[in-house]
Parts: sequence; structure tokens; C-alpha cells
Amino acid sequence: MTDLAGATREAGDREPKRPLIGPYLLRMLCLLAILAFWELAPRMEWVSPVMLAPLSATVVTGVSEIGLFAGNLAVTVGSLLLALAIAIGGGAVAGLLLGGIKALRETLLPIMSSIYAVPLVVVYPVFTAWVGIGAESKVLFGGIYGFFPMLLATAAGIQTVDTRYMIAARSMGASRRQQIIHIMLPAALPSIVSGVRIGAAMTAIGVVVAEMMAATAGIGFLITQNRTMFNTAEVYFGVFLVLLLAGVIDWAVRSLERRAGAWYPHKVKML
Amino acid sequence: MSGAGRLSAQIGIVVGIFLAWEAAVQTGVANPRIVPPPSQVLPMALAMLGDPEVLHHLWITSAQVMLAFVLVAPLGVAIGLLLGESDYFGRAFKPFFYFVASVPKSVFLPVFILAFGIGFTQKVAFGMFQAIFVLVISAIAAADSVSADYLKMARAYGASRRQIYQDIYLPAMLPVIVEGLRLGMIFNITGVLFAEMYVSRAGLGHLVANWGMSFEMVKLFAGILLAAVLSIAVNESLRWYEKRIGAWRG
Repeated sequence: MTDLAGATREAGDREPKRPLIGPYLLRMLCLLAILAFWELAPRMEWVSPVMLAPLSATVVTGVSEIGLFAGNLAVTVGSLLLALAIAIGGGAVAGLLLGGIKALRETLLPIMSSIYAVPLVVVYPVFTAWVGIGAESKVLFGGIYGFFPMLLATAAGIQTVDTRYMIAARSMGASRRQQIIHIMLPAALPSIVSGVRIGAAMTAIGVVVAEMMAATAGIGFLITQNRTMFNTAEVYFGVFLVLLLAGVIDWAVRSLERRAGAWYPHKVKML
Repeated sequence: MSGAGRLSAQIGIVVGIFLAWEAAVQTGVANPRIVPPPSQVLPMALAMLGDPEVLHHLWITSAQVMLAFVLVAPLGVAIGLLLGESDYFGRAFKPFFYFVASVPKSVFLPVFILAFGIGFTQKVAFGMFQAIFVLVISAIAAADSVSADYLKMARAYGASRRQIYQDIYLPAMLPVIVEGLRLGMIFNITGVLFAEMYVSRAGLGHLVANWGMSFEMVKLFAGILLAAVLSIAVNESLRWYEKRIGAWRG
């Protein structure tokens, strides 16, 4: 195979010349340049300090007001946990129903995937009108935001179950309950877990976005409040905390995924 | 279930939902001041399409979405193809794009306000920002989806460079790129509407946010219905195109 590939290689790209700097080094240099720009540009007034607060000022400001940030972050995490229960729990149940039952799969599921294209942000004013701008509207909005990706991933997972396993189980007399517990759920698990990852990330975005638009507390609220006062360093530190929160959620779900992966025999290839 | 049967079942479900909604309000289960019935929302949505003021705001939103799309589509696809085709740049910058694509981008909106103000430019820039990463990722995937076997075969039979691009690269990459454009468009619309709702003086998102704050529920529901129908229409037509040009893959 290798000599064939060599023979069909284009005349132009014989042995590529070794680049002056390796790709990894180039990436690190670019990252350094961005960090240096972040620090220097506002200090040298290349950009207005309202637009960008120097990296060091962002960190110093954030650390000096860490109590305020931590308190609001705790509010956000509280709303997020409740919203996750709606998104993950509701999405999984709805996904199992819509993916597992043929009549629903053929009619309701395509409607759901069309609805997924709707920019859900426009629905947020309905929630604030219904339940006010307290934590309830954040929980509802975050829950709905994560519900659809969770539903679609779960439904997709249920559909990928190998029909031969189902036929084998049925012909050996497995009950409906046994089929679900021993075949459908384990086979769908990887898709469900990846649905949890996307759904959890979307739920977090939903909660923070809701807080940014109308709220009285939470990290999104803090960002918006500081933006209206042109406290640029606080805004950047708040954004950083949200990214950190997203990173922690992703890490948590990934470690869950690894455990599920260890339990589920990946090596059995499902055709 | 046949295709026609499925479609009529789906129409039945949607109509059924609207009827149940209407019935819930008429029988007093739902409070019409909180959940306005479809018999008020649908006429309002139609009336809005004839209202010059609403149309003006709708036009501003569309202009922002379209301009952002026209600017970001070639940029994102070009970056993605460069990273997908060039081993060197790919190894240098792919991890960066994969990382940023997984980061929640809505939270950067205040940064765009600090940088660009609250006008038209800021909405366009934010729409582009929301869309570019999924475009880059899908263009990388498109570059990877070109089958090495087909290329070998084409070269062995002496295909010209133009033929290879036109008959191998393009049909292989186009469906994947169009899928990226569709996702980018959804993110773009979401980004522009969110930016309008957050701080703005114009646009559909601005109207919806105001109707919500002043408890004009009929107008609010009608505005949401318009936004939903428009974005579903954009999404479904791009999806239809995606299926058509990807049909050869079987």
C-alpha cells in the first residue's frame, strides 16, 4: 500500500520541507501573542481600556472581589442543578419514548428536530412574564434549552440498537422489560451520555443567558451589571468564570462517560 | 407508514396542539391573559406581516443575519479547508478551533458591546462569531471526507486537476459544507436575536423583549411564532438542499 501511495503522490509534494517552526510551537507562539496583546494593548492604549482590560488587571480585580463573584456563581450553580434535572431527566424520558416507539419516531421526532432550529432565546420573555425574573425563570429556561439536545441524542441512541440483538432476544423469549433493560439501554448508553454532555453544556448556557437578560442575581447578572457600569475588568473576569464553569461540567460528564464506557463493551462492534 | 401518511399525521399533530391550546383557553383551564389563544395569536402574526413598523424591524434583523452570513461563510469555509488540507496549519491550529467550538459563546456578548457598541455592526459581528467555529469544523470534516481511493482512481485514469476538483472534491465536500452552513445559520440567527434582545434599539429581538416586559402577551406570542416559522423555513430549505446534493452518497 505504501509504495502505491508514494507512486500516486502528486509531483509537487515530494518530500515536504521541514518548516522553520514546528506546528506545536507555532500554536504556542500564537497563544502567547494573544496573551501579550491582551496585557499590552490596553496598557499602551492601542485599544480603549473600556474595550479590553489588561490581563493582569482582570485577574487582580477578580481576586479582590472573589467573595462577590463566588456568591453569584453559587446562585447560578443552584439554578443550574435544578435546570439539569429538567433537561437531562425530561430529555432522557422523552427521548426514550420518541425514539423507542415507532409511531412517535416517525411523526413526532422530525417535528422535534425542526423545533430544535428555533432560536429559543425569543421564548425567554414568556418565562419572565409568567414566573418573574427570579430563579424560577432561569431554571425553566435552562431546562428547556438543554431538553431538546438531550431528547434528540437519546432518541438517536435508541434507534442505533442493532435489530439482530432485538430479534435474538425476542426469539429467546425475553420480556419487553428485559429487552429494554438488557438490550436497548446498554446499547443506547453511549449516545445518551454524549447527549448528557451536550445537554448539560446547553443548560448552563441557557441559565447564564437568562441571567444576563433579566435577573437579580447570578454570574450572568453580575456580568451585565458591570457591563452597564463599564467595569471592563469585572466583565472579563465574569466571562472567564462562566467558561470555567462550562469546563468543569464538561470534565465531570466526560469522567462519567469514561465510567460508562468501561462498563459498556465498546469492543463489540455494533453494525 | 407511507410518506404521505406520515406528513398528514404530522400536520394532524401540529393542528391538534393548536386546537388543544385553543380549547384550554376557551374552557378556562389556561388564563388567556397569560396564555393567549391561537385565535388571537395567529391573526396578530398575520397582521404583523402587514404592519410597516414590524416589517421594518424584521428587515433589520434579516439584514444583520444575511450580512453576517455572507461575510462569515467564505471566511469560515476557507479557514476550515486550509486547516483540513494543510497538514502543517492543521496540526498547529485545529486544536484551537476544536476547543473554542466547545466553549459557550453567548457569554461573550457583553465583550462585543464593549468593543462595537450596541448598533448594527455589533449584531453582525456577534452573529459571525457565533457561526464561524461550526463552519470551520465542518469544512475540516469536509476536507477529510474526500476519499483517497477515488483520488487515486481518478489520477490513475489521468484526470486533470480541474476534473479532480470538479468531480471528486466538490461532490464529496459540498454536502458536509452545506450542513455546516445550515448549523452556522442557526447559530447566527440565534446570536443576532439574542444580541437584539439584550441591548438594542431595533430588530425582531428588540420587539419581542419589549412586548415581554410590557406584558403584551398576544404580540409576544405572535412575534415568537414569526421568529420560529422563519428560522424553521431557513433550516428546512438548507436541509432539503443538503439531502439533494448528498444523495449520491446513498
